[in-house]
Amino acid sequence: MSELLLKLSNLNVGFSEDLVQDVSLEVRSGEIIAVLGQSGIGKTTLIRTIAGLVQPRQGSVELNLPEHGGLGYIPQRLGLVRHASVYHNVNLGARASLPWFKGSREERARRVTSAIAAMGLEEKTREPIRRLSGGQLRRVATARALAQQPTLLLADEFLSELDHTTVDVVVDAVKTLTDEGHSLVMVEHHEENVEMIATRIWLIENQQLIDMTIDEWRKKMEEEE
Amino acid sequence: MRRGFLFAIGVLLLTAFIILNDLVDDWGRLSGGMENLSVFIQESMWPPNWSVLEAQSYPVCENKIEFFCSVGYIGMMETIKIAFVATILGFIGALCLSSFAAKNLMPMRIAFPFRTLLSATRSLPSLIWAIIFVIVIGFGPLAGVLAMTFYTIGYLGKLQYETYEGMPSDSLEVSKAMGLSHPAIFTSVVIPETGNHLLSQLMFMFEYNVRHGTVIGIVGAGGIGYYINTYLKLLQYDKVLALLILIFVVVILIDLLSLMLRSFVTDEGDVRRPKWLSFLMKLRKGDESTK
Repeated sequence: MSELLLKLSNLNVGFSEDLVQDVSLEVRSGEIIAVLGQSGIGKTTLIRTIAGLVQPRQGSVELNLPEHGGLGYIPQRLGLVRHASVYHNVNLGARASLPWFKGSREERARRVTSAIAAMGLEEKTREPIRRLSGGQLRRVATARALAQQPTLLLADEFLSELDHTTVDVVVDAVKTLTDEGHSLVMVEHHEENVEMIATRIWLIENQQLIDMTIDEWRKKMEEEE
Repeated sequence: MRRGFLFAIGVLLLTAFIILNDLVDDWGRLSGGMENLSVFIQESMWPPNWSVLEAQSYPVCENKIEFFCSVGYIGMMETIKIAFVATILGFIGALCLSSFAAKNLMPMRIAFPFRTLLSATRSLPSLIWAIIFVIVIGFGPLAGVLAMTFYTIGYLGKLQYETYEGMPSDSLEVSKAMGLSHPAIFTSVVIPETGNHLLSQLMFMFEYNVRHGTVIGIVGAGGIGYYINTYLKLLQYDKVLALLILIFVVVILIDLLSLMLRSFVTDEGDVRRPKWLSFLMKLRKGDESTK
């Protein structure tokens, strides 16, 4: 039986008014959930609420994760430290799950090096973030998440701006994580990416979140066409 | 937007003038003021007396270069040493306190007491701190160092926590969501992201402390201020002017040093790091273009 990682109970999210209402859902280990919906409908706010960055307007978010580095987050703007190197940024992920009292420096270095290699950024290791292209920045943010190895990763459009080859590389890396029991909740716009990676869909429409399987979502798409 | 901005500036200027008018009871005092100043400068200050850069008659100068035995050099070096030590100690103290005072790094219930502590430290001017430490430990540079250190903590602390609060929130949010500890967030995210501002503030504070060395020296806390105070008492204003020009030159040099240091942490530093010579040549080119 897969482990319960996230439980949303009667959750309303938004700022001055509700964007999404009455969400009661669970996420278990190994799941990859794509959050879909039109722009401005509340996908990012939902992710930020789960990450604890926005207070829920009602209801609760329960996380069942390890104390250190259990939750990973890749926001739309990536949240990289601009005035630091690729290594420094990826190392933040390793430090989150392996703080100084929990893991050795060598162990963190191994994780960082292998995450950078998985994203094909070896030659950019010491490069300052501000010198990288948009696609390279997304790969650094993904490498940070790989180095952290979070039990639950929240990602907001982390596959956009990537070419097809790089999408394949990133998806393979993330699938390696989910095969080990980690989970991913991702906001995504591109249907082909959703098809490639997701195991479940959360579709936001008219302030409601509809939980569906990939087949149900395909069927709905066909009906709408 | 532009019209609104000009309107806001106009309103602020008018408000300032109304308040000034309320403060000044007799505008007639202004008449003849510039003339008095001109007479004072021409008769008492000008030209500057550069003998302050020559060796003092006592103690006997043992250095081959006379300048190193001069009042200007000895006083300035003591002021720079006091300012340097106080700025470094104050900067480190301020970093520790300001990381707890920023409301985007700490909840307000923790940030507020630290902000209050920094306000309390800042509310006493360095001159008052100097008087306090002169009373506590007597005349000399140590009183100056302690006075400036305390004032630096309060002053830099405020600048620092306001800088943290103004930094882009996304890298902070990611670090918090990932569960990084407060020291890890501060050292690995906040300091790299605000490094340029922190360095600029550090250099500004060093410059400020050098300038302020003249003031705290007056109450006996060491440095060039001691000599300025002596010359003021002896009505040797031409020597005072020479020492003030010396301070001005040192301030300019600190500004150039700041420009060089900050180029290591700005985007511009990637492309082109300013050289001393190129900077001075740029100044000269600028002069020509304005002619």
